[in-house]
Amino acid sequence: MEQALYQYAWLVPVLPLLGATLVGTGLITFGEWTSRLRRGNAVLILLLMGVSLTLSVALFWSQVLGHDPYTWNFTWAVAGPFHLEMGLVVDRLSSLMLVIVTTVALLVMIYSDGYMAHDRGYSRFFAYLSLFSASMLGLVLSPNLVQVYVFWELVGMCSYLLIGFWYDRVAAREAAQKAFVVNRVGDFGLLLGILGFYWATGQLEFTGIADRVAELLAAGALPMWVATGFGILVFLGPVAKSAQVPLHVWLPDAMEGPTPISALIHAATMVAAGVFLLARMMPVYEHLPVTLQVVAWTGAFTAFLGATIALTQNDIKKGLAYSTISQLGYMVMAMGVAVPAAGMFHLMTHAYFKAMLFLGSGSVIHGMEAVVGHDPIKAQDMRNMGGLRKYMPITAATFLIGTLAICGIPPFAGFWSKDEILHVAFEANWGLWLVGWLTAGMTAFYMFRMYLLTFGGEFRGLAFGPGAMQVEELAHTETHGHASEPHESPLTMTLPLVILAVPSVLVGLVGLPFANYFEHFLEEPGSALQVVPELAGFDWGEFLLMAGSSVGIGLIGITLAFVSYGGKFTGVEPLAERFPTLYEFSLNKWYLDELYERWFALPLRRLARQALETDYRIIDGLVNLTGLVTLVTGEVLKYLNNGRVQTYALVILVAVLGLVLVSGLS
Amino acid sequence: MVADFPWLTTVILLPVVASLLIPVLPDKDGRTVRWYALTVGLVDFALIAYAFWQGYDLDSAELQLVERYAWLPQIGLDWSVGVDGLSMPLVLLTGFITTLAILAAWPVTLKPRLFYFLMLAMYGGQIAVFAVQDILLFFLVWELELIPVYLLLAIWGGKKRQYAANKFIVYTAVGSLFILVAALAMAFYGDTISFDMRDLALKSYPVALQLWCYAAFLIAYAVKLPIFPLHTWLPDAHGEATAPVHMLLAGILLKMGGYALVRMNMGMLPDAHALFAPVLAILGVVNIIYAALTSFAQRNLKRKIAYSSISHMGFVLLGIASFTTTGLSGAVLQMVSHGLIGASLFFLVGATYDRTHTLILEEMGGVGQKMPKIFAMFTACSLASLALPGMSGFVAELMVFIGFATSDAYTLPFKALVLLLAAVGVILTPIYLLSMLRQIFFGPENEELVSHEKLVDAEPREVFIIACLLVPIIGIGLYPRLVTSIYDAKTTAVTALVRQSVPRLQAPVGMLTIPISPPYPLILWRFGVR
Repeated sequence: MEQALYQYAWLVPVLPLLGATLVGTGLITFGEWTSRLRRGNAVLILLLMGVSLTLSVALFWSQVLGHDPYTWNFTWAVAGPFHLEMGLVVDRLSSLMLVIVTTVALLVMIYSDGYMAHDRGYSRFFAYLSLFSASMLGLVLSPNLVQVYVFWELVGMCSYLLIGFWYDRVAAREAAQKAFVVNRVGDFGLLLGILGFYWATGQLEFTGIADRVAELLAAGALPMWVATGFGILVFLGPVAKSAQVPLHVWLPDAMEGPTPISALIHAATMVAAGVFLLARMMPVYEHLPVTLQVVAWTGAFTAFLGATIALTQNDIKKGLAYSTISQLGYMVMAMGVAVPAAGMFHLMTHAYFKAMLFLGSGSVIHGMEAVVGHDPIKAQDMRNMGGLRKYMPITAATFLIGTLAICGIPPFAGFWSKDEILHVAFEANWGLWLVGWLTAGMTAFYMFRMYLLTFGGEFRGLAFGPGAMQVEELAHTETHGHASEPHESPLTMTLPLVILAVPSVLVGLVGLPFANYFEHFLEEPGSALQVVPELAGFDWGEFLLMAGSSVGIGLIGITLAFVSYGGKFTGVEPLAERFPTLYEFSLNKWYLDELYERWFALPLRRLARQALETDYRIIDGLVNLTGLVTLVTGEVLKYLNNGRVQTYALVILVAVLGLVLVSGLS
Repeated sequence: MVADFPWLTTVILLPVVASLLIPVLPDKDGRTVRWYALTVGLVDFALIAYAFWQGYDLDSAELQLVERYAWLPQIGLDWSVGVDGLSMPLVLLTGFITTLAILAAWPVTLKPRLFYFLMLAMYGGQIAVFAVQDILLFFLVWELELIPVYLLLAIWGGKKRQYAANKFIVYTAVGSLFILVAALAMAFYGDTISFDMRDLALKSYPVALQLWCYAAFLIAYAVKLPIFPLHTWLPDAHGEATAPVHMLLAGILLKMGGYALVRMNMGMLPDAHALFAPVLAILGVVNIIYAALTSFAQRNLKRKIAYSSISHMGFVLLGIASFTTTGLSGAVLQMVSHGLIGASLFFLVGATYDRTHTLILEEMGGVGQKMPKIFAMFTACSLASLALPGMSGFVAELMVFIGFATSDAYTLPFKALVLLLAAVGVILTPIYLLSMLRQIFFGPENEELVSHEKLVDAEPREVFIIACLLVPIIGIGLYPRLVTSIYDAKTTAVTALVRQSVPRLQAPVGMLTIPISPPYPLILWRFGVR
């Protein structure tokens, strides 16, 4: 029975792929007809996803019960002696990821039915969603680095398609391309890193590489700095995919995609793929301490940078995006101190509460659109909101749960996982802990700022937002909605919020520091993550100190937020008045976009133009000239000038005909 | 019966003979002739497929379906045809792409008889280039196939078609003179005079002669492939050609250069290849990066895609230079893959042009709203072109990368540098391709364009053509052995041959003994050594 279950594991990614293919083919061949089916397509895709979810849960449960990891491979490419395998591996780590991905994906799909109800591209949206789910599931099942790379790029493509989903919008079109190109920069490193490890070890499977690297390092056959370099190259992949500094710039822009996408791809699953890959690579990284240092500090810095920018964002989705960057920084930091279980724990809790927060923001935007019209800039600006608790009670309640979870208030999920990371960071390096601790304070502040601006106080409408700033613009964009007040979203949207609230509260309980089933599960012998150092016996005093300090700074942040935004919002940011320079710096995202534009984009464009000029003027000219010199002797030049090179062709034709003729005579 | 039937002669001559009937075909409305051409194309492709199915042995590296008839005994010219792993995939590709190109040419109204006559003549000529095994015959068909291309360019092209056609023929014809010279030199060397390619491959030539012949072949094939700096005919020719001609140019003609490089330069002159390979690797990287940059700056859609073809051919060079089976396998796969992807992109460019009547990117914009199907297909093919996994281009590039990374013929720094730069190409490709999509399809509609052009979405014929191309593109991407198994035996044999010429190539993958051969001095001053 169980064996049969594993034999059908390949269905988990293939079913959503089937759904995407069917609907996609239908759209391109019988577009009108397929579009008109609308809910029919959605139901098909949801059903297939449901089967995937069931299978995933069954596989996960079987792993919980202690089934051995299952691998299955086939030879994908052959060239002489070279063989490249593909396949799937179901172990504890991948089965856990399967469950996370399928649950969030299914809930997001249900939510999308409400959110995209009036969109022209409703069916296309579901096809993309299904395609993404298939790619993501393929990624987590990958047994080797090349297959990871394959699906890594595929989820990137889905992200590109979905960010650019509303392709008539200028911002979406720029954001989609930026996301793909920045991710390609990361893939460039990942590809070179894979090639490097393959060159050095002849292996592509994670444990295979790890064993061989250990041997080679021990034997001195592979210099440490080379291996470290390969490790960092591979890490470039997660840097881009998980939006770490300096390649994080695509993620905030990616919020141009529909909000369900932001929840599924750009918060819960795809951006966590980088963390997942680091967990998979941990057996290798274990031997490369310098690489781990780089990983840890990149994560810490990212956590800090993301939080500082999130402090001042006015766009609700942009704020959440920077918060995601910051939280991903925590996870990467945990990987950097070689405690992947802690990072995976935060990945799991974050997937649920951040998906809920994003879906909640989508619900808010949906409600706002009824008032301010279908203008993403106005509908997403928190200065236009306020008092939504009254109109959207379910959304407000779930958003508050998510906010408490991310702030690290016990007993919500985020508390346990974030505290675990801070704990292991402290044991590795107090500097890392300090950065993480400060970030925790900022997180509490910006999340409550967000909550209070959105749901607290009185509804403001266009009193302080961008519309208010540009009165004349308001005059000609008469896209006003049909209502004077926002309304609560339909059931298909609120139901996923409520369901997601459950794990956001409870899922942390599997990883209590004094009864850590989660880490125990991932660290069990036979799983991929067995290298985690044994945690010493549980120390209540230490726990209370660590937890107390992180909850303490969280409470300080929350208090500050209440002091600043608890009363009536007057369009003035109290702290911004106090520190104008810092405020500008944060609001402009550390000026990194401008910097990249000036240092990379512009020079590249200039270089390309120069290459083209050279091609026209110099290369073409030179080659034409040498060509002419050769031709002068053959008197072909004369014909060239007359524009009668056909003659030349004719000569060849006649000559060949002559040959044929001779053959006939002989 | 299957074994004895002259399959290859039949598939070469059938379209040629059929084309001769076109002038006498009763055709009042100009429609009969296109159905006729399409039927001939389909029948010929079916014959190729049948011959492949019945008479081709996947596990053999030898020539198969061989036919040989004395033609001009006085000068030793034979009609000698045969296919091995190198020819077979390209012959199949030719049949496939040319048939689709005929279907793509459906709307041609100017001189349809002449057009289809030339298309069918091309059909036979192209297959002949890949199938003939006599080097003199090779030269002849290489030249002959230029004539229909020339006329197709000069009569049906864009505004500057005459200039483009002239440039094309002068470049290629001058290049091909080098083939003749080198072929004659090789044929007359030694005791026996023979034009048979297998005999030529068995002779052993002194290194100096090898180098001269290698250089001569390289010039000819560098024009065709094309290789920097002999590529400048291509943007002109591709910029002016109509879509069906375009599909043939990009889909098949470029591959003749790569095919001949492997067959002659590698297969007949292995010692010279050992010395020239570093140059090929460098030229490959230059192709990849330089053409990607020029493509990015190019504002003309057709020329943009033309430069992207040059960039992709750089990977073929890298694979050829890698001295590994994996790399060479990737190079051949890249040829097949680009044949499919290039043809599909050029077809879509043509389809877009039919609607917008402009090729300048600035004059488009927001086209996707009225033409969602073309948008979708264009996106799919562009993603294939930027080597998205799951499509054929990725597998080819990956194999070239792995092949080059595991190559033991180069010193470590050289290898690392080449790989690093080639990987930069991986970043540049999406920049220019996605910018192109962004400017054509995304954003608000270009008011001026929609005011005077009626943008209608793809018709079923167009969807069908792209579907036909996407099926093998995705098929190969999902399971590359579909194609690699056709030529694996042959590329293994060729690699073994050239590896004999490189001293001390024993270190197996994963042993990490740093290197191996001396960095080959950048060549020509090593004339005559050994």
